[in-house]
Amino acid sequence: MISDEFKILFTGPMGAGKTTAITALSDQQCVSTEVVNTDLTQCDKETTTVGLDYGHIDIPGGGGVRLYGTPGQERFRFMWSILANNAAGVIVLLNGEHPELEDHTATFVDAFWQQGKMPMVVGVGRLASDDFETIERITETLMRRQIAAPVFSVDVRNKDDVLLLVEALLCQIEANELEMVEA
Amino acid sequence: MRSQSPLSKTATMVAMKELEAFKESTPGLTSLVLLTSDGFEVASLQVNKDSASRLAAMGSSLSAISSAIAKEAGLSECSRLIVESDEGVVAVMQVPNVTPALALAIVADDASLLGQLLWGAKNCCAALSEKLKK
Repeated sequence: MISDEFKILFTGPMGAGKTTAITALSDQQCVSTEVVNTDLTQCDKETTTVGLDYGHIDIPGGGGVRLYGTPGQERFRFMWSILANNAAGVIVLLNGEHPELEDHTATFVDAFWQQGKMPMVVGVGRLASDDFETIERITETLMRRQIAAPVFSVDVRNKDDVLLLVEALLCQIEANELEMVEA
Repeated sequence: MRSQSPLSKTATMVAMKELEAFKESTPGLTSLVLLTSDGFEVASLQVNKDSASRLAAMGSSLSAISSAIAKEAGLSECSRLIVESDEGVVAVMQVPNVTPALALAIVADDASLLGQLLWGAKNCCAALSEKLKK
């Protein structure tokens, strides 16, 4: 039986939409640590998260899902392990248009898989609706690492898309817990 | 790693002079890093490049989380935060009214006196604000 309150983590490179996804999902006002972005060469956006994002999905009848977001830049890597502590699973968000998409996949998947092989789901944004090749490439990257994580094309501004990622992750978490009970 | 500092060379030299003056007048100071709010080092004293970069990133995270807690508690912006241990102090203080937003991370050992350290840091940040204001 899974507990009625658990923590999941959103991670991924700068500009992948972690803050947007958590804001889209949260039933409560989000905690944000966004500041002015001075490195427009890395990502052309006005603000960037430097600490964490926090939101909460309330489940009727009690309990809920705590949504944590990491900063995306490598210089904030120290926050990744702090935030991963006690997380039940991780959603890796990627920008499908980014030229370094494959490096980003490897960096974030490896960083969080090494935290203890936690259940994982990958969401890829900004993909054309018929771009199955990119999804396949990312799936192959995961398979080479023997990671069984579903990969979805998503629009992080769309609550239903982000909810799909969370539901897929919750299924993974539940399956994992059942496996542990049966073992 | 970014290619260009958000401060000009002249502004960086001015900032370095202020850091040096703070260091000279304050016992126990071991490292100083002036950082942007998004975690880049723009000037530092008595710390190697890697440590300065890490201190800058951690300083910005702590500063942003402190501001979020202050906001949650109904307080205005967090102007400084202090981490104390038996062996010394780490403080991060905002430099007021500058663009881009800057903060000063201060590391001191147990030879420092907290009051003196914070007073010196406040004066240093005020001087930085005055000289870097655009």
